[in-house]
Amino acid sequence: MKSTLFIVIVIISGALAGAIHGTVNFAIVEPYLDQAIGIENQNLFASGEEDDNPQFWAEHEEYRVWQKSGQVLAGMILGIAMGSLFGIVYALSRNSLPGKNDVSKAVILAGIMWITIYLIPFLKYPANPPTVGDAETVALRAILYISFILISGFGALAFYKLSQKLQSNKKYLGLLGYAIFIIIVFFVMPENPDELTAPMNLVNEFRFMSVLGVTSFWISIGFILGLFWKKFEK
Amino acid sequence: MSKVQQLSVSKTSVSKIAILALAIVFAAGLFVVGFDQGHIFSIVYGEQAFVDLSIHELTHDMRHAAGFPCH
Repeated sequence: MKSTLFIVIVIISGALAGAIHGTVNFAIVEPYLDQAIGIENQNLFASGEEDDNPQFWAEHEEYRVWQKSGQVLAGMILGIAMGSLFGIVYALSRNSLPGKNDVSKAVILAGIMWITIYLIPFLKYPANPPTVGDAETVALRAILYISFILISGFGALAFYKLSQKLQSNKKYLGLLGYAIFIIIVFFVMPENPDELTAPMNLVNEFRFMSVLGVTSFWISIGFILGLFWKKFEK
Repeated sequence: MSKVQQLSVSKTSVSKIAILALAIVFAAGLFVVGFDQGHIFSIVYGEQAFVDLSIHELTHDMRHAAGFPCH
């Protein structure tokens, strides 16, 4: 495939899948964000950091409109970014992936990446709504989250490479090795240092919707890039 | 008679430059949505960008929803 065509289909796939992700979030995650920000505002009034007056609410509405309007746009930017990673991995691993055609291969890879660089890191460091999260610890939390994603992603790659050197009836040892490795990492990595200061039902429902949103991205990117690749490969 | 076997392994059909370009897109996009706290606009607006947090606010809801640390 020509480089230009490869880049174009990867970016379009990422943008489309990201737009789907942003739209899903807009429908199912935004209500929880609004609830959490409502609690955050009440905490600000109670602590005296802000006054409950019309000026506050006018400014609040202004930046909430800005934040909400960015949901789909940010989804597209994130989609292009993650789609680029997906495109790179797909191009490098396509010949080794199981599946009858490019659509099934891409969907299988999307499933693998969803588990290794999203779901497993999420189980250790789950998403939190606004009002949970100390500004003082944001850099530490970012380092922990990214570190776990890198460890899980490169760990999966390393164990896959190891499994290639094993006889066909022992290749499952690669998967077993990764499972043991990531369980150890899971318990060794430090916990999120922040306290959960929001009601747990709100936090849990927000997290569930967040997973659905991100999952919609990975399903979409698998199908869309797979279809594009199948169409343009020849 | 020696028998030469030629093993053809096609690792990928795309160029390294395309992969590098997408790697840059990946890193830049991830930073914008997940981690920018005024850094990008500070190139133009200086310290004020760290106060305004325009990109942070624009990506705020997706940042939370996609699981990135925030606040």
